[in-house]
Amino acid sequence: MTPNLTPKPLSRRTLLKQAAGVTAGASLGMPAIAQSKPFAGLKLRGAAYQHGFFNHLRKYIPEFEAATGMTVDLQLSAFPVYNQQADLELSSGGSSWDFCNVTFILAARWISAGLLTNLDDFTGDRKLTPASWNPDDFVKGAQVPYTDKDGKTFGYSWEGGAMLMGISRMDLMKKRGLSVPKTFDDLMKVADGIHGQQDVTGFVSSNLHHWFLPPYIHGFGGDIFASPPNDIRPTLDSSAAVQAVDYYSRLLSKYSPQGVLGYTEDQARAALIGGRSNIFIHSSSWVTSMLTSPDSKVKETALVTRMPTGPRGDFPASNSQGLGIPKNAKNKEAAWAFIQWALSPELSARIVKDTGHASICRRSIIESAEYKRLNTINGQDIGKLYLDVLQQPAVGRNYMAYRTVKEFPLMGDVVNKAVERVVSGQMPAAESMRVAQEAALSSLRRSGAKV
Amino acid sequence: MASVSYESQRSRFARQAIAPSLLFLVLVAGLPTLFLIITSLTPGALVNPGSLTDFSDPFRNYTLLLSDERFKGSLWVQARLSLYTVTLQVLIGTSMALLVHAGQGRWQSLRHLFVIPMVLPPIVVAVIWKLIYTPDISPIYHAAKAMGIVLPSLTTHVDFALWAIVIADTWEWAPFTFLMVLASLQTLPTEYVEAARMDGADSLGVFWHIVLPYIAPVLLVCTLFRVIDSIKAFPLIFLLTGGGPGSVTEVTNYYAYLVAFNFGELGYSSAITVVLLSLTVLISWAAMRASRTTQSIE
Amino acid sequence: MKKHIIFWAVPLLLILMLTPFLWLLQMSFKPTPLILEFPPQLIFTPTLEHYVGLWKDGFPESFVNSLITSTASTALALLLGIPAAYALSRWSGRGKFGLGLGILLTRMAPPIAFTIPFFLAYRWLGLLDTRTGLILIYMTFNLPLVIWMMQPFFDAVPASLEEAALMDGAGFPTVFAEIVMPVASAGIAATAILCFLYAWNDFFFALILTRTDARTAPVAVVNFMNYEGWEWGKIAAGGSLVMAPVLAFSLLVRRYLVSGLTAGAVKG
Repeated sequence: MTPNLTPKPLSRRTLLKQAAGVTAGASLGMPAIAQSKPFAGLKLRGAAYQHGFFNHLRKYIPEFEAATGMTVDLQLSAFPVYNQQADLELSSGGSSWDFCNVTFILAARWISAGLLTNLDDFTGDRKLTPASWNPDDFVKGAQVPYTDKDGKTFGYSWEGGAMLMGISRMDLMKKRGLSVPKTFDDLMKVADGIHGQQDVTGFVSSNLHHWFLPPYIHGFGGDIFASPPNDIRPTLDSSAAVQAVDYYSRLLSKYSPQGVLGYTEDQARAALIGGRSNIFIHSSSWVTSMLTSPDSKVKETALVTRMPTGPRGDFPASNSQGLGIPKNAKNKEAAWAFIQWALSPELSARIVKDTGHASICRRSIIESAEYKRLNTINGQDIGKLYLDVLQQPAVGRNYMAYRTVKEFPLMGDVVNKAVERVVSGQMPAAESMRVAQEAALSSLRRSGAKV
Repeated sequence: MASVSYESQRSRFARQAIAPSLLFLVLVAGLPTLFLIITSLTPGALVNPGSLTDFSDPFRNYTLLLSDERFKGSLWVQARLSLYTVTLQVLIGTSMALLVHAGQGRWQSLRHLFVIPMVLPPIVVAVIWKLIYTPDISPIYHAAKAMGIVLPSLTTHVDFALWAIVIADTWEWAPFTFLMVLASLQTLPTEYVEAARMDGADSLGVFWHIVLPYIAPVLLVCTLFRVIDSIKAFPLIFLLTGGGPGSVTEVTNYYAYLVAFNFGELGYSSAITVVLLSLTVLISWAAMRASRTTQSIE
Repeated sequence: MKKHIIFWAVPLLLILMLTPFLWLLQMSFKPTPLILEFPPQLIFTPTLEHYVGLWKDGFPESFVNSLITSTASTALALLLGIPAAYALSRWSGRGKFGLGLGILLTRMAPPIAFTIPFFLAYRWLGLLDTRTGLILIYMTFNLPLVIWMMQPFFDAVPASLEEAALMDGAGFPTVFAEIVMPVASAGIAATAILCFLYAWNDFFFALILTRTDARTAPVAVVNFMNYEGWEWGKIAAGGSLVMAPVLAFSLLVRRYLVSGLTAGAVKG
């Protein structure tokens, strides 16, 4: 019996589907020359931590899956759990994830240990990435953690953390005749002036002292290391560092809610948007929720502005979270297709418009009129504040270089403990930082650093 | 003779019966312990390939331990935690047992409900106490505020953080002592108590001269077992304090965990764990000797 | 009078002791707006919204993982441990104390002592984040538990019973299976449930040796603790779900709990 060799006639439906696949691919920023469903049947596995951005992203993933034919399995875990698991996974050279979140605190460690894939291979290949994707569009300050000494890129940022000050009770401030604090001294005075009024605390913070403290250290003229990233001798016992810890600890112990040492960022934000704490200095997405969150009780009395300046300068912290591809990932091209899509200018613009999530890192979008319109709330141009702080480390001295040191996780832990000791009254700042310095030195030496 | 051949048959069967388990245990427990000791002789860190087989300086970790203030501090925290929590558990557990025993048979069936805290998954116990210790949501804090008292946040207070853990741990494990002492009390011959009363002893005298010596062996075994278990304290510290504030609740077990899985220094953490394991071996040996004596008394 | 106080003290004490646990339970059924309210309403219309929300959040997978790892490790431990307990019970030679100590140590060692070498081994063997991996490491405490708990039950079976059957010409395996085991069956049930309890309650091993595929219920509960929004209702529901199986089972084997928890050192 001769086999039926007549090809099945192309039905109109099949033709339309294929056409749709191509155009869908094009609208998602994928090369129009790609065949439809290039990754049919592939299961892409990725991991990140629980953050609003990924919840938003999940709503768009079905489009991506339809266009590429792959299924995306994105697993989210709590922030500390994710970090620990990701560190173990990558350090073990694991290949269970095709893409993953590159947490800022661990980025330097992973990059210097060669645990991530160099993404320049993908961005440079026109077959994989269209020119319109433009890697240079990402704000430099946000990309700093993901580039190594030679300028190679190992991650692209999806979230920028530009440190801003959120004041929730401008009404109380007015009543007490207090103006927006511009210096460290002002801040302490304002915290003192508001604390206790109508059950409001002057300040609030969370337990990530390794993130909140450095701006004060820089503001008083010091740094975590002597001259990062080259000279990584810790300088935690310098007078500037001691002054900073003393200052910051006073804000926590005298003017913050009870139990603030145990506060997570989310608890701190809840206190802020509930109007129970007046001032919170953290990444923009955390403080702008005063103006944007449906649970916010302080929409009319909130102000987002730059954090105060120290006697030696203005060094608001700026970080980012990024997406990267583990060195031993099994499906690197597919992973890149996903990352490229998730961070494409088209999708980023849609996310900003549809969800109001504004802390993306593409300059072209942040400077666009649409973005400005969406992010000017109660007359406050949040977008401009955000961009200014995000790019500040790339403009003058890179004061965020301390985060590119691969031993920073060790230092972060030491700093956390140091602040906790002072706030809980176990030691005064000078002694606590002396202990911290010794702990840092022995920790660094034990991990093989030459200090 | 028939019995001799049964003996040898039995012995042969016994050897065959135990062999798979022994093999398995050697594989699953013996070898890993050996690996642990070997790893403790290397500067093994996950991010440094090759460090896990670097035996150039085998005693480096142990030497570093001697000068590691944080390690020494953790041993001290562990000692205090074990002392406080075991003492409290044994006291409260014994008191509860005495109370239930004195309540006559009526409440015997209820004694099984006392068991609940200790069979709950330890992480759920931690969740429960996190609820209780978080000022924003705890009914205790709200109640205190309503009465005008401002309670300090226990888990972030330098003086109370360890006690916060002790209280939660005691809540979880007092039923253990309770069950053991109650079981022992129920075998106490009533004639002893009656005889003592007829001699004019009051309740305190009865307790001191009759009851206490009788339950002493059980109390000893109980204490030793609880001390061993207290070394493993993890979920409560993980969820309630993270070792803080500072390092006031950082026990050695938790420090070893941080070093191994947050810093990735498996070699150094193995050394810490070997020290911890040695302590456990010592105490376990004592516990076994004590329980053997107890059983021979019975 | 004093008798009355003592009499009523017991149930009062019980209620006091169980309040924290009951608090979690009632919170899991409370509608969200009421949860943080003070004074807390003790009478309210219960809702299942938190449990439903959990079910949609990937919690069922972790529940299934817990179920599989606990059951499989229990079965394996019983399979290997029951004959071993019998052997130990009939052991007439030297070394019984040493063997017993070794077995006890396995149960008493801090989990991290095993986690580090197992982590390294699993990394190499590809057993990280697998249920098999968890089942194997659970044997470090389940197998010794079975041996310790079953030994006294076998001790209670007199040798004369076996000898009678042997005289009738039965082989030892038959004697073991048909004479000895049925007598010890109560102990087997209790031991099984205790093994299940310990495996189910494990937190540390699962935390380190799993990522997302083999994540068990106790670890999944922790994920809720850090989520944006602090969904206390879901946390309470998660906690309640995780504790439900072991609670039910342990009330079933309450008679053998003390024995099991002290690795057989003290009879309940």
